[in-house]
Amino acid sequence: MALDFHELKKGGFIKQQGRDLFLMRLRAIGGHLTSRDLENIARIAAKYGRGEVHLTTRQGVEIPGVRLEQYQELIAEVKALNLLPGACGPRVRSIVACPGKEICPNGVIDTRAIAGELDRAFFGRDIPVKFKMAVAGCYNACTKPMENDVGLQGVVYPELVAGRCSLCGLCQSICPGGAIKIMNDRVSMDRKKCHGDGACIASCPNNAWVTATTGFVVYVGGKMGRNPQLGYKMFEFVPENDVVPLINSIIVVYEEKRKGQERLADVIRRLGPEVFRELIPYSGREEVAAGGGN
Amino acid sequence: MAEIKATKRLDITGDCCPITFVKTKLALEEMQPGEILEVLLTEGEPLSNVSRSLKAEGHKILQVKKIGANIYSLIVARGEEQ
Ligand code: SF4
Ligand code: SF4
Repeated sequence: MALDFHELKKGGFIKQQGRDLFLMRLRAIGGHLTSRDLENIARIAAKYGRGEVHLTTRQGVEIPGVRLEQYQELIAEVKALNLLPGACGPRVRSIVACPGKEICPNGVIDTRAIAGELDRAFFGRDIPVKFKMAVAGCYNACTKPMENDVGLQGVVYPELVAGRCSLCGLCQSICPGGAIKIMNDRVSMDRKKCHGDGACIASCPNNAWVTATTGFVVYVGGKMGRNPQLGYKMFEFVPENDVVPLINSIIVVYEEKRKGQERLADVIRRLGPEVFRELIPYSGREEVAAGGGN
Repeated sequence: MAEIKATKRLDITGDCCPITFVKTKLALEEMQPGEILEVLLTEGEPLSNVSRSLKAEGHKILQVKKIGANIYSLIVARGEEQ
């Protein structure tokens, strides 16, 4: 079978140690694989590799020990099984996400949905250097969004339906930012101290705290590796519908401004985060920053 | 707020997650709907996680009081059978 260079160029088939050996990298969008996927991966790892896989830091699955001559057959089988090839090289890499509110009691957003959206919009896009994105379902930031070129962290801002409150005292005791105070039989909140982690909404026994708005904090320009740099908290609050266009603008500005092999982190370090921010045509909802809400 | 009398008291101040909620859940399962349990626990993760899980399982926190340097008392009404 002739080698399909177009397919090979999209990435995911990577030279490994040892003569004529390659590994096949698969992606799991936001870390989700079904039992069926796992069975299929096990089967192809035995058939084309050496019956083992390696789990990557970006929630991918690598099958080592594949020979170049097996590539066509392997990639055809990967596709037929609805498995997803991963990326390598100068591209948008696989989207990392935590389980989010579907599974995690702390979660405030549906990470599976947004990871899927980001995958559809950006995965595999050719850009000058590698570009990584991660999504965390809440303030705990388990997937380390600030270590990625673009990192999303879910936030939920609450509002109080005072008539439902029984003054039990719980929200004041669990609010991580110390934003909620109960004085003279009245609950009040200092929005500037609100972390947007939704503990009050999830725990209030009378549903007095309700969701006012959900969205994301967006970190920009993080990277790890040789010269680590944490991303800047550049956008305090971005509603879900604005996320894809915003990231698109970030990539466009990055491509215009980068010199040589600079990562986004390097461009931002050179220009300064404020200057970079000004170049992004996003008017934003900065008024709700840090729990601004209404 | 008026004192609410609990019929049972559970001290989980020496436990950590997930034992904290498991003990609370098992204690509530032995009680009747509407019966009151007092839970003593430490602030931080035990307080926030147990409170959240209680709500998720249909029980109701009536009162929260700080009773020591980092110890809280939760007054919980057992929920209806699911
Ligand atoms: S980031 Fe939040 S929602 Fe996601 S796994 Fe961590 S605690 Fe759960
Ligand atoms: S947790 Fe709910 S009921 Fe209790 S004091 Fe806060 S708002 Fe009122």
